[in-house]
Amino acid sequence: MSLSMNSNIELPTARVQTQTASGMVAMMVGIGLLVALVSMPWWAHQGTIRSVVELCCYIAIAQMWNLMAGYGGLVSVGQQAFMGVAAYAMFALAQNHGIDPFVAVGLCLLVPALLAVPTYALLHRLDGPYFAIGTWVVAEVFRLIVTNMPYLNGGAGMSLRVMTQYSAHERAIGITILCAILLLVTVGGSYWLLRSRYGLALTAMRDNPVAAASQGVNVKKLRFLIFIAGAVGTGLVGAIYFMTQLRITPESAFSSNWAMIAIFIVMIGGIGKIEGVIIGALIYFFAERIFGPYGSTYLVVLGLLTLVIAIYARGGVWGLLSKVVNIPLFPTRRTLVSRDEK
Amino acid sequence: MRWLDALIQGVLLGGLYAQYALGMALMFGVMRLVNLTHGDLVVLLALIGVSLAVSWGLGPLALVFVLVPIAVAIGYVLQRAILNNVVSQDPLPSIIATFGLSIALQNAMMQVWSADTRSIPGFGIEQASWQIGPIYVGVLPVIVLVVATLLTAAIDALLRFSRFGRAIRASAADVEAAALTGVNPKAVYAWATAIAVGILGFAGLFQGLRSTVAPFDGPAQLIYAFEAVIIGGMGSIWGAFVGSMVLGITQAIGFRINPGFGILAGHLVFLAVLAIRPQGIFGRS
Repeated sequence: MSLSMNSNIELPTARVQTQTASGMVAMMVGIGLLVALVSMPWWAHQGTIRSVVELCCYIAIAQMWNLMAGYGGLVSVGQQAFMGVAAYAMFALAQNHGIDPFVAVGLCLLVPALLAVPTYALLHRLDGPYFAIGTWVVAEVFRLIVTNMPYLNGGAGMSLRVMTQYSAHERAIGITILCAILLLVTVGGSYWLLRSRYGLALTAMRDNPVAAASQGVNVKKLRFLIFIAGAVGTGLVGAIYFMTQLRITPESAFSSNWAMIAIFIVMIGGIGKIEGVIIGALIYFFAERIFGPYGSTYLVVLGLLTLVIAIYARGGVWGLLSKVVNIPLFPTRRTLVSRDEK
Repeated sequence: MRWLDALIQGVLLGGLYAQYALGMALMFGVMRLVNLTHGDLVVLLALIGVSLAVSWGLGPLALVFVLVPIAVAIGYVLQRAILNNVVSQDPLPSIIATFGLSIALQNAMMQVWSADTRSIPGFGIEQASWQIGPIYVGVLPVIVLVVATLLTAAIDALLRFSRFGRAIRASAADVEAAALTGVNPKAVYAWATAIAVGILGFAGLFQGLRSTVAPFDGPAQLIYAFEAVIIGGMGSIWGAFVGSMVLGITQAIGFRINPGFGILAGHLVFLAVLAIRPQGIFGRS
């Protein structure tokens, strides 16, 4: 290094600031909401808990898609593959092998992790847009294999009868704790990752993979790890969601509806931002409750809205908001602050 | 004899898949773009064919002359209005835009035509067959295969010998250099998509005649087209044709082994090609 050459020049004293006041407030609110979530079984109705569990699943699956598409450049339309295999693995462990369902939720994550490795090894050979359809084929392959497996009761699906060993209250406690863990792992984990030194690499990769690689970022390895992380996170969503449903069929487990939900949430909220996922999930959650009864008309509007956003408003709602006010809730930007300014 | 029959039926099925795959190979070759509504457009055109056949009593031959121009117009407008905005190095906008459009299209078709499965009346042609020894060969599937072969040869010739084909190849090789030499890439793209979707006019008609269509069938057709293109070699016109044959034969043999295995067998061959020869049969590595 040629630092010695410049050693007579005094460097301005500065430090890197990554936290903001709005970020601190948001973190406090977030922790408060997690505590409220876990305490729900003692004050909320069963129906409310179900809705909140659903919302948590939306947030988590969208954040996993956001991590892959927004940072890794891995646009998938087949993440339901990992949702389905994890959920089925959980059902098989609990129903066929007598393992406690809440323990099975953790164990079953090995399956998406292990399947993601060969899946990525094959699919990363496909160019950009073809990667997306490749993920869809993989989801179809898993669905067809499950449909033909007597061990998993084939196309008829399975019921999680072992859950009857727990009372409704006990189940609610278990599921809200799982949801809190789900959010901590997917949203909290992404937040932590983006603020760590890997976050810099990820952001660089998002902005320009070639330039990032020239700066020493191992883009290939990072993409692989993101794909595995995305598969495991999505798998956890699947296991928790179908635990609340108590029933699973190949059609529901591997439904491309989940890809649609994740894509819609991330695109409308704002890709590449955690705030975008939260906003998008809330919009989708309420839109479905308000406009869901309109059925296919509602889906036509949803599809066209996704189209319009992809063309004209790539930053989504959070992108538009950020142009007006700068209050990051999950700040990941590094700002250089001079010591004198303090 | 059972397997020879499977082989023949597979090649005939491949003829239909070639009509799906040809347009996709053309669009990817020219723009590096994948249109996720590809399969939905097949279904849309088939359903339009059903309605025209029912309300105006049009026969299959007359439908060709109505459906193909409609398809060309749809393709041209699709590229001008939507896809030209999302052609870029980044695959995200085009995938998301066409994914959204695909969902909108499926649900809109569901409202117009309901969820029923329908087919285009062929006035007997769909049942006609020739008997060769112990094997029956359907007249319609043979027509489908012949049309697919002619279309593939026509597109290949168009790309090789025509002025428009040169403009397409120039845009595919280097769009900026092509623009400098007087090619208008947006117009080239629009006509390439018009041709690609125009071919789906044939595909939709034959799909509707050979079997049934319903509003949510599109994704399956999209996946078959995609698999054929990858097996054959990305962007290669004859590659897409050969890939369709491989896919059709695999599915036909798979169905003979076990009815639940046909589609899966096709997917597995696709994955095997990715593992062994990722550039496809005709692709250059």
